[in-house]
Amino acid sequence: MSATAADIQDSHDHHGPAHTGIKRWLFTTNHKDIGTLYLVFSLIMLFVGGAMALIIRAELFQPGLQFVDPDFFNQMTTLHALIMVFGMIMPAFAGFANWMIPLMIGAPDMALPRLNNWSFWLLPCAVILLASTLFMPGGAPASGWTMYPPLVLQTGDAFPFLIFAVHLLGISSIMAAINIIVTILNMRTPSMSLLQMPLFVWSWLITAYLLIAVMPVFAGGVTMLLMDQFFGTSFFQAAGGGDPVLFQHIFWFFGHPEVYIIILPSFGIISQVIPTFSRKPLFGHDAMVYATASIAFLSFIVWAHHMFTVGMPLAGQMFFMLSTMLIAIPTGVKIFNWTATMWEGSLSFETPMLFAIAFLFLFTIGGFSGLMMAMAPLDFQYHDTYFIVAHFHYVLVPGALFGAIAGCYYWLPKWTGHMYDERLGKIHFWLSAIFVNLTFFPQHFVGLAGMPRRIPDYAVQFTNFNAMSSIGAFGFGFSQLLLVYVIYKCVKSGQKATAEVWDNPEGLEWTVPSPAPHHTFDEAPLYTPRHH
Amino acid sequence: MTIDDKKLRRKIRMNAIILGLVAVAFFVTFIVLTALKG
Repeated sequence: MSATAADIQDSHDHHGPAHTGIKRWLFTTNHKDIGTLYLVFSLIMLFVGGAMALIIRAELFQPGLQFVDPDFFNQMTTLHALIMVFGMIMPAFAGFANWMIPLMIGAPDMALPRLNNWSFWLLPCAVILLASTLFMPGGAPASGWTMYPPLVLQTGDAFPFLIFAVHLLGISSIMAAINIIVTILNMRTPSMSLLQMPLFVWSWLITAYLLIAVMPVFAGGVTMLLMDQFFGTSFFQAAGGGDPVLFQHIFWFFGHPEVYIIILPSFGIISQVIPTFSRKPLFGHDAMVYATASIAFLSFIVWAHHMFTVGMPLAGQMFFMLSTMLIAIPTGVKIFNWTATMWEGSLSFETPMLFAIAFLFLFTIGGFSGLMMAMAPLDFQYHDTYFIVAHFHYVLVPGALFGAIAGCYYWLPKWTGHMYDERLGKIHFWLSAIFVNLTFFPQHFVGLAGMPRRIPDYAVQFTNFNAMSSIGAFGFGFSQLLLVYVIYKCVKSGQKATAEVWDNPEGLEWTVPSPAPHHTFDEAPLYTPRHH
Repeated sequence: MTIDDKKLRRKIRMNAIILGLVAVAFFVTFIVLTALKG
């Protein structure tokens, strides 16, 4: 099928980048450089979105309005989410995909290198467009990242910029997804079959299909919002015969697969890290592939669990409740398989492994609250409270973000050629793990006690847990500065890393030198699986 | 990196076009369905 990688010729005579200086980064078609661009961009966005979170948590430290007016608070909640989802976590995993997929499948580069460059450079343009709305009359969008009409249609001058920014972000993701699928299906080294591919590559293959299916739906939804606002249509306006709830259906048809788009690459990274530091092969490799594919398939039929309170017929509520409970099964398979991988393994607890183990435990907590919310009648109480906020932050922060950080520590030596400072890495881990729990665990309690979401002021009985949460948020935010220092120190100096870096890890990426040369696998490598 | 194999280049291009068309199809379908529902 893919007797192809061997035919690829490197037409450069040199072995470094084609340009130097700023031109190198603007015009690069090299998957490693583009991966670096994505990762650096997402690290910057972590702090931009994080600063917005700290404005939110500063206001919520005490009841009453202290620092910001309510409309600006809403702008912060909206932009925080949009930037973290579309500007931070998705580009981070796109960066991992670009760096690691060609290395893991023995390909010289991505299939469509120029498209790859475009996919990245659209992102800073889109984010600048979005951030610029803060300075427009009426301010940034304040409707929440979910952009429900009719509220979002009251956004003001920023509205078309929001829509355009969302379109650019979507186009970037769709192009990246096309590139990833085409690369994986056409440029694998001939000796590697599909089921022999590492789990990280599988996770991204499946994620890419999800992106192609649902990003256009999101684009369609926001295009219809634009048409309602400017071209007199009534897709979502009841007065014209439309239905605002229909937007919610369209949004969440995108939105639920979107959260799996966010988490599946993280699952893939965990599947690479845990076997290495357990010195055991991944338990149930094929089952993990099938579980990931099942999760992706099921993610299309659970969307209305985000909308249990809109007045759906009982049959609809039952269906989505049952499908949501069902999706917990393949997720559970993955958790059990990661645990089984560690069972009777020869464990060592370097920083990537610490983040991976924290992921296992804390993502499961997020999953448990998710299972509680799957029960439709119970969700009537949880919906639009801080219980939901706690749930999704548990799966996003110690879930997706910790997976990304684990991958960062795991592959930093391959990228830079130096070992990172293990002591500082461990300090970063413990600070992050403690503060993330201090931030989000109390939110379960205030949510259950009735504190609504997206409010700048709250009833006085919620004070203590909100104060804890705010302290945790500031602690967590400042702890991430340590990550920046660790990365900087690793780029500049550190013990030289070998090609293998870790103790006998599996995968083609560990067969190239550290740092990986600008061009790798000009000839297709021979892949010999260790197991099966 | 240049791919010299014309057959591979054509296959990659075909794959990319098909996936792009799938994306467009999702975009158009949902707008049409929404319009019909209204």
